[in-house]
Amino acid sequence: MELWANLIVLTWAVAFMLWQGVGFAITLGTVFAIWAILAVSLNLVVGFTGLLSIGHIGFFGIGAYAMAFLTSDASYEQLRTEAIPTLGWPFFAALPVSVVLAGVTALLVGIVFNRFRDDIFVLVSFGFAIIAFSVFLNLRSVTRGAFGIHEIERPAIGGWVLDGEVEFLVFALICLALVVLVCWLIVTSSFGRVLTAIREDEEAIAVFGYQVTHYKLAVWVISAMMAGLAGGLFGSWTTFIDPNSFILLESMLLVCIVILGGLATIWGSLLGAMAFVLLDEGMRFLPFIPSEFVGQARQIVLGILLVLLMLFRPQGLVGRYRL
Amino acid sequence: MGAQLASYRDRQSQLLAIALAVAAIAYVVWKISESPEQALQFAFNGLSVGAVYALLAMGFTLVYSTVWFFDLYYGAAAAIGAYGVFYLRSGEALGGLYEVNEPFVNVAFAAVVAGVVAWALREGLYTRLRTRYRTRNLILAASLLSAAAGGYAGLVLARPNEIEVLLSPAIGVVVGLAVLWMVRRGHRLAHGRALTGPLLAVAAIVAAIAGGYCALLVADAPGSRLYLSWAVSCLLAGTVGLALYRGLYVHMIARARSPLIMLVASLGVLLAMTAATTIVFQAAPRPLPDAFGSDPVVIAGATIKGFNVFTIAVALVGFAGLWLLLKQTSFGKAVRAIGDDEEVAKVVGINTTVVIAVVFFIGAVYAALAGLLSGHDTAIQPRMGLLLLLKGWIASVVGGLGNLYGAIVGGFALGMVEQFGIWDLAGEWRDVISFGVLILFLSFWPKGLLPRK
Repeated sequence: MELWANLIVLTWAVAFMLWQGVGFAITLGTVFAIWAILAVSLNLVVGFTGLLSIGHIGFFGIGAYAMAFLTSDASYEQLRTEAIPTLGWPFFAALPVSVVLAGVTALLVGIVFNRFRDDIFVLVSFGFAIIAFSVFLNLRSVTRGAFGIHEIERPAIGGWVLDGEVEFLVFALICLALVVLVCWLIVTSSFGRVLTAIREDEEAIAVFGYQVTHYKLAVWVISAMMAGLAGGLFGSWTTFIDPNSFILLESMLLVCIVILGGLATIWGSLLGAMAFVLLDEGMRFLPFIPSEFVGQARQIVLGILLVLLMLFRPQGLVGRYRL
Repeated sequence: MGAQLASYRDRQSQLLAIALAVAAIAYVVWKISESPEQALQFAFNGLSVGAVYALLAMGFTLVYSTVWFFDLYYGAAAAIGAYGVFYLRSGEALGGLYEVNEPFVNVAFAAVVAGVVAWALREGLYTRLRTRYRTRNLILAASLLSAAAGGYAGLVLARPNEIEVLLSPAIGVVVGLAVLWMVRRGHRLAHGRALTGPLLAVAAIVAAIAGGYCALLVADAPGSRLYLSWAVSCLLAGTVGLALYRGLYVHMIARARSPLIMLVASLGVLLAMTAATTIVFQAAPRPLPDAFGSDPVVIAGATIKGFNVFTIAVALVGFAGLWLLLKQTSFGKAVRAIGDDEEVAKVVGINTTVVIAVVFFIGAVYAALAGLLSGHDTAIQPRMGLLLLLKGWIASVVGGLGNLYGAIVGGFALGMVEQFGIWDLAGEWRDVISFGVLILFLSFWPKGLLPRK
């Protein structure tokens, strides 16, 4: 089954690339990289620690908005809508801020959320996603609300601006590789083993003298920082963000990716993100689905897949841990 | 040490509760002194919003305290309730502007109804009849009956403008049977033996007359269309909920290691259903037809809409109905027994599958009712369900998870807090207020206002 899942998704990816040409594959690659960072980081929380969080998109949004607020150099006076100060930071100065801001928010949120478990944790993480969305939409002096923020910086190294798609793809993949490396280091370390133990039996590991809350908080913050990184990348890549990219639905889709790929495996999350991106873009070319329904059709397929997985394979395609 | 810590936390929580309650009362008093008219207005709005939350919370609590997992399908059920009314009434009331009537939808619901009727026949009649008749004949009769029921449901969906004519025979039959059942039961209670012979014939005739009269009444009243649409869409949402339990959840619950499996599966259901709703009805908000004429009454400076009063009344009646069902009938006893321990309930001879299926049905009906009531009040959107469901969930946490009284108290309390909260803040922060209340409660009073015993 695992072998088949790998084979199918990878063949599908290659076939798709050959079919649609390299140019399209590059765009897809960037989308994949961003989703994959999110999925891998969420898997740290959901798969390895056993906390089903549906609020991850909030940290993604915080990263994106930090990037947008700091680097946007649009002159809003001409647009005659609500203006925000033009700071015009360079990308590489703003990216750490995205990461740190997401991390600090996660720390504050995590201190409150730490005592919740199981379905109550799901509920409050829903709450976090909704509160974050409300803030993005309504705190107009920072986010410009529904107008969104335009002209977000592309990364520039020295005088070399990464405004080509290929350069950005390479950059995004490097970020993804870094995230995967960090995750791998975490899950193979003793720290990661404690996380797994927390997932299996929180009381038992507490008896051994581990401060369970500290471990959970730490992994929560690390995961949020990775999501903040993905957010910074996303803002810079699209150069325009508005709150619609950070709705609760996206968060639920993200959970779908993680569970679809497999809990408690890094490779599974990569595979899940790839399958997700391919599903979306693959459906765009199916003749019998009208173009305006592509997103909905994908959602239906994901929903049904999720149900089937829970019925027959609760650990996901290549997962190690059954929910 | 642990106990000391717990008692300290308790005292801290108590002090915080008192402080917050005093602050809330002071705030409300200040607001009333500032502008009594507006305070009345906000209080009324709070009650009418709270009624919707209370309905959701009641259905939610009923299901949660029986199977102990959060079923996100109720979000979809709320949307089905609202969109069902839209589907049935879009042709005439909105000038036919957004008329939708998809054969595909009709067939899908017809299939669900047929399946559920077949299941009900099997559970209800098969065991009693199988000694008397051949299995083959029973299966044939059951298939015909369920196909007929499904076809009937499909027909009602396909011809919404004749809904009162189409439904009146069914209502007549239901009323007739209900009257007959009540007479028989009354006789048995009074005389200690079953109703037989000529008495039974008289009772049947009386029941037939009552049923026929009701059927005529329904068919003649043109205003009944909207209410029949409500009934139909609630029943459909309930049927889908039952079908989901019987067709899907029942296979998982036995194997699920944690309630999260069920939650994720129901998340999949919610995602798929929301997307399907969006495909059929599009994502843009849609209005529902006016339920009552829009003539608001002004009492002491507050505008009071008849429909909102009606919503509050529905919540109270819904509470009374659920209370009667759970506390006064043997069915309610069975529900509570299953909530306490499903295995033991099975051992003492409760057909847990049937009882839980009915619980799912009732929960979905309540959610659908909440969805359509809030839909009439504002607009409907395919995404509306999840947010409503979360509010219901919050309300039941605030009231006390798994407690019926808590559900209604929590619903109204949440509505009031939300409305008074957005007085000084803007309306768009209401979700933030709700979740703030949730986190506050979970942190300090995780058992809610009225803890389950």
